[in-house]
Amino acid sequence: MRHPGEGVLRRLVDEPAGVADADRGHVADCARCLEELAGAREDATRVGAALSVVGVRADSDIDGADVDGVDVDAAWQRLTAVPAERSARATAPRRGRSILRRPVVAALAAAVVLAGAGTAAANDWLPIFRTERVGAVSLSTADVMALPDLSAYGDVAVTRDGEVHRVRDAAAAAAETGVDVPELAVLPRGVTGGPEYRVGGKVSIAFTFAAERAERAAAGVGERMPSPPPGLDGSQVRLVAGPGVAAVWSQAAGVPALVVGRAVAPTAVSAGVPFEVVRDYLLSFPGLPDTVAAQLRAFSNGSTLPLPVPGDHVTSSTAQVHGVPATVLATRDATMAAVVWVDDGVVTAVAGAFDADEVLAIAGEVR
Amino acid sequence: MADSGGVRPDLAEVFRREYRRVVGVAARVLGSRDQAEDVAQEVFLSFGRSSVPDGEARGWLSVAAAHTALNLIRSGRRRASREETAAVAEPVVVGDVADAVVVTEERGRVRAALGRLPRKQAVALVLRHSGLSYAEVAAALDMSPGSVGTTVRRAETALREELNRHASSG
Repeated sequence: MRHPGEGVLRRLVDEPAGVADADRGHVADCARCLEELAGAREDATRVGAALSVVGVRADSDIDGADVDGVDVDAAWQRLTAVPAERSARATAPRRGRSILRRPVVAALAAAVVLAGAGTAAANDWLPIFRTERVGAVSLSTADVMALPDLSAYGDVAVTRDGEVHRVRDAAAAAAETGVDVPELAVLPRGVTGGPEYRVGGKVSIAFTFAAERAERAAAGVGERMPSPPPGLDGSQVRLVAGPGVAAVWSQAAGVPALVVGRAVAPTAVSAGVPFEVVRDYLLSFPGLPDTVAAQLRAFSNGSTLPLPVPGDHVTSSTAQVHGVPATVLATRDATMAAVVWVDDGVVTAVAGAFDADEVLAIAGEVR
Repeated sequence: MADSGGVRPDLAEVFRREYRRVVGVAARVLGSRDQAEDVAQEVFLSFGRSSVPDGEARGWLSVAAAHTALNLIRSGRRRASREETAAVAEPVVVGDVADAVVVTEERGRVRAALGRLPRKQAVALVLRHSGLSYAEVAAALDMSPGSVGTTVRRAETALREELNRHASSG
């Protein structure tokens, strides 16, 4: 019979019950397969050891108790506590308790505004554009998995002018970022007090395409890369976003909270290769789901920022804010909504524990 | 699925059942339990707002932990390896210091290499080494069970080559 594939041999190493009897019988009598099995076993053991962590048992049983000394009660307390101040970090879900309680939309809004990360968040997706508007791209977890990992296709270098951090007041935020700090003349019902201000510096992502590496990466997963268009190999694409500022209203437990953010909108430049060429090439990468590729291709003008949205949890629609097109995002359980718009190269986002109509009304009041 | 407070009612139960595993997944990527616990907090915050069916929670949480941890590695925001070194040094007080140094270096290299693997390979590898069955990995990553072995094997080959390259050059 045919020799079983490397995947079957690998499964024989640590889950032999999952391998068909015929395959097991073959391997037991086949010198070549036994040799490959030994190699698979050796690699698995070595990698397992290298991945091991003190206090974390290697290849544990499925009983959930594979980490020694972890205090689950303390961890639960931490999750459910209302922190007076969580340290501001570049990843959105840790920024303030409004986001703690309402992570989905607020995280998206804050990430886009503060770090221009809307594009980077989709696993380093890197179109070439000047943001004039925002459009939602609905992604499932599986879609995000399938997006091309750019670092496999060239060199990715990220530089940022400082981490996201808290500043004293609006004046300090304006001085540090040069961005008009968003103001709300009238606070919506349920929101009181003054906001905290957080600022983030300019973020720059440079990607240098390497055709040979891309071929290798594709071959590694059994795919073939499409031939790169002339001039693309070695060419560089640079994405720049920020600086930005966010005003965050946080309240005691149970009271709605609000985030209003504004930043210099992302732009991207390519060294000599037209936008359409790079876009079509990126969209032809192996593994990219057709539905996602079609959505991204619809951003055909090089000026719409594709905002990745977890389609299973969030709906998107469009509206007008201050006379420009805006994208409205709302969680399917209607507990949270956000609106994002771009005006003259500046992106503004409003997010909070409101429904879509309420958040649009608030957006209309933002100065 | 969510109650009026917006957080799913079974969060506490799932948290108690799966927290250690989520920490374990992130720790394998990061090499640090402290950082892994930070990642686990982020993952459960997202999970609490989600409507992922209970039966899919383990796979969802594991994939989210692996992604969040890999993103940390890739963005370079991971803390310096002091913590990792200290963690390794701890149990080898009576052991061979030279071995400990080799192990520490190997762990650092394998994690850097992990960040460079195709994302699906890296996640499948980490999930399998975190104790998820082939069927669980397949369901979590929307793959066929048959392709899990192939994907994990290729990831291990790539990491072994990375380790050998340094071993022979060092």
